[in-house]
Amino acid sequence: MVEVALKEVTKRFGEVLAADNITLKVNNGEFFTFLGPSGCGKTTTLRIIAGLEFPDSGKLFFDDDDVTNLPTYKRNTGMVFQNYALWPHMSVFDNVAYGLKIRKISKEEAKERVQKVLNLVNLAGLENRYPTQLSGGQQQRVALARALVIEPKVLLFDEPLSNLDAKLRLRMREEIKDLQKRLKITTIYVTHDQEEAMVISDRIAIQNKGKILQVGTPTEIYNRPQSLFVATFIGGGSLLEGIADKVGEKIQVKINNSAIQGTPSSDEQRIKEGDKVAVVLRPENFVLEKPRSTSNQLRGIVEWTAFVGSRTDVRINMNERRLLIHAPPDIMIPVGKEVTFYISQEDTIILPMEEVS
Amino acid sequence: MEVRKTWSRLRRELDLMTGTQTLLSVFILILFLIAPLFLMVEEAFVYKGEASLKWFFDIVGDAEFVSFESRGGRLFEVHRNIMYIWGLDHGILLNTLLVAVVVTVFCCFIGVSVALIMARYKFRGKEALRILLLVPLLATPFVNAYVIGKLFKPTGGLVNFLFFDVLHLLPWRIDIDGLFGIALAQTLSYYPIVYLNVFATLMNIDPSLEEQAENLGSKGFRLFRSVTLPLSLPGLAAGAIIVFIFSMEDLGAPIGFLGARANPLSRKLVSYQIYSSFAEALAGGISPRTYALAVIMLIISVIGFVAVKQYVSLKSYAMLSRGGRWSPRVRKPPLKYGCVIYLFLISLVFAASMPQIGTVLLATTNWATSGTLPTEFTTKYLNSLATNPDVTRAIINSLMYSGAAIMIMVLVGASIAYVVARRDIPGRSLLDVFATIPVAVPGIALAVGYFLFFSRNFRGTLLDPLTDPVLLLIFAYSVRRLPFTSRAIFAGLQQIDVSLEEASLNIGAKRSTTFLRIVLPMIVSNIVGGGILSFVYSMSEVSTSSTLGALREDRMPITFFISQIVYGVAAVGAVSIGAALCVLLMSIQILAMVISNLILKQRVAFLGV
Repeated sequence: MVEVALKEVTKRFGEVLAADNITLKVNNGEFFTFLGPSGCGKTTTLRIIAGLEFPDSGKLFFDDDDVTNLPTYKRNTGMVFQNYALWPHMSVFDNVAYGLKIRKISKEEAKERVQKVLNLVNLAGLENRYPTQLSGGQQQRVALARALVIEPKVLLFDEPLSNLDAKLRLRMREEIKDLQKRLKITTIYVTHDQEEAMVISDRIAIQNKGKILQVGTPTEIYNRPQSLFVATFIGGGSLLEGIADKVGEKIQVKINNSAIQGTPSSDEQRIKEGDKVAVVLRPENFVLEKPRSTSNQLRGIVEWTAFVGSRTDVRINMNERRLLIHAPPDIMIPVGKEVTFYISQEDTIILPMEEVS
Repeated sequence: MEVRKTWSRLRRELDLMTGTQTLLSVFILILFLIAPLFLMVEEAFVYKGEASLKWFFDIVGDAEFVSFESRGGRLFEVHRNIMYIWGLDHGILLNTLLVAVVVTVFCCFIGVSVALIMARYKFRGKEALRILLLVPLLATPFVNAYVIGKLFKPTGGLVNFLFFDVLHLLPWRIDIDGLFGIALAQTLSYYPIVYLNVFATLMNIDPSLEEQAENLGSKGFRLFRSVTLPLSLPGLAAGAIIVFIFSMEDLGAPIGFLGARANPLSRKLVSYQIYSSFAEALAGGISPRTYALAVIMLIISVIGFVAVKQYVSLKSYAMLSRGGRWSPRVRKPPLKYGCVIYLFLISLVFAASMPQIGTVLLATTNWATSGTLPTEFTTKYLNSLATNPDVTRAIINSLMYSGAAIMIMVLVGASIAYVVARRDIPGRSLLDVFATIPVAVPGIALAVGYFLFFSRNFRGTLLDPLTDPVLLLIFAYSVRRLPFTSRAIFAGLQQIDVSLEEASLNIGAKRSTTFLRIVLPMIVSNIVGGGILSFVYSMSEVSTSSTLGALREDRMPITFFISQIVYGVAAVGAVSIGAALCVLLMSIQILAMVISNLILKQRVAFLGV
């Protein structure tokens, strides 16, 4: 178990920057996730850590060891591939035992360790099956067992759940999380599914176009996005554009004729008076009755409602700006009615305007 | 900085295994392909120690080689109730090109027709015809042309006997011989190459492309001309250039016809000239004019091949727009067309299988001496395969050479395929090119290059063809068939997801361990498949076998031995023993096809670009 540190790591494929000057540290025993849209470079970053790609510049450390130029077979990392990469000509046992054979571990010990790890991933009894005779979930577990059995310093996952059906995906992510907590292996995970990332991770790095935009706990990233990209990529929400009116501890934003008070999300004071800003409003943060905290009051006409089980989605037209609100499921609001609703100033996220692509 | 980065990348990529694989491949390709050809080209451009085009001017200026007026021969002339179809002699070089062009055009016409029928129509007995259409691919070197020569004899030839004497369908007897006879024999052997290439392209065309054209009102020949044919041009071009190269370098047909009919016109081809110059080689070496001839042939083939390859890679758009329903456009022909199709295919199958049928007849009956039709069966020729020491020696020689060649081919082919498919080292695309180019190198040009290079630089060693041609034969087989092996293995590697190897590396296995334990087991069927095919090709290889193989009697491979028998100079005599050897070759080939079809469950690869 090690601490993994990337220092100014850059990797370019032709014109495309897959890793753009990345510096970050993954703590010992931490579950760390790279989250981003497809093509953002997260898999490349993971492969650089695995030693399957090499950075054009920058360095990579496992604890204090510089492993930048170490070939993958000397790094002792355990990787679970997106397509599992199980060897079709080997049984489950042979697949899992392969890494131990390479390490010249005695037959008896290897057998014992394979048994143990197969028990751990609930695959006991399937040793003699071949990969083609297994279900997707079972293949996933074999891949996991194969990575775990060598007792790697770092466990690496490249979108491991994307080939499973929705229900299995939920179960597997809990199992992976459980296992990691028990074994306390430093784990680096790559996914494009924000919910998965939120559920499974201790910390998340949001990556776009090779750049790491923000690193933080799931709560930090959700509640305090530091850029418009992060705010819109994580969680839904409506976006209102306006001009910063008064900048202080809170920021007042002028939108047409009305004003909204909000909290600047970013730590740096980047917003000046007169700047164009974006107000991010999460649908679940709205309430229909005035809350105790200081809040913004808004009015609009109900345009459309939909009952989705756990809640009712309400779309409100506020002077031709549309807001989505999650209302309680039992509420009955007729379309066309004008309503008043509230959002606390704490939950009103204000960010400098930037191009979102 | 840049240099250091490249260097560190190279050090990472060039681990011990990749390094060994690359070095081995480069070494063999340089020594046994590039250097000999390079020296040959160099020599052809030197006269009295100076760069000169003398040898080329010699050739072009000599009416023996290039003559725009006919120097003899007969083409559609009728004398004494015999129609002579020999072809006209325009000089050795022009003859070669003319024959190659005619054969290519014939093959394209037949090949495209057959491919269209087989790809677009369904009818009773199609499966059987599909197999029968491939009979000409069965190797019967030299004897096939001998059989055709024999069948078209004006008196005593079976064709004339049947169609003139018995059925009275012909107004005169016909005598097919010389250049035209050679073109006929080559067409019948090579049309499947065009057919298979075009067929593969047709099966890959998105049916909706033709359906769209039909929907817009195009049909029949217009549809064919405006959509189907342009889309299948890449396959046609690929097949055509191979037929062209094969025809130019072919020795089997000229020697076969000479054996059957002894018409001197059959000698007037570049391939035969080079072949006969090897007879002088023993006495005093080969004239630079022969180098120049081989160089002309080499240049034409390589330029044609490279141009077609370029064209094919530009035009492989036919399969781009896949999507939606993918049901091939196969329909039942109306009765009228159905009859035409049957008539065409059955007569084609019959005509094209004549050499193979004739070969079997020669080997199992007294047909060689009995006249028009055989009169009795005999097993003595087949028996001689085991009893005649000269014959058995030739068989054992060929088996050993081909076996050794397979090992080299698999080793080098797998190395090149792996480096090209998986490793990122500078110059790997060049490696790929040089592993493919032997397809375009005429075998006799390679033989000339080998003779020159190795007899000069390795005099007296085992690599000197005048001392012992065995090693050179083995390497010639290896290099000539390398593209097939390396392509087959490359195709296998492309089927394997890279992550299977990465998983192994990641777990701690070195690249060599990964190659042995993960990659090899998964491509073993491709290796065996490619190997079997190359073995068959090596056994029936003609060009280098009948030139380099001629240099020492006790080293002769099967094909050279057959040529000697057919030509009538071998002590063993009767052509029937040559036919028996061809029967053996065909059996090996059929066995190989059955093995790779049934056991390895893969279709027999065929010749393509």
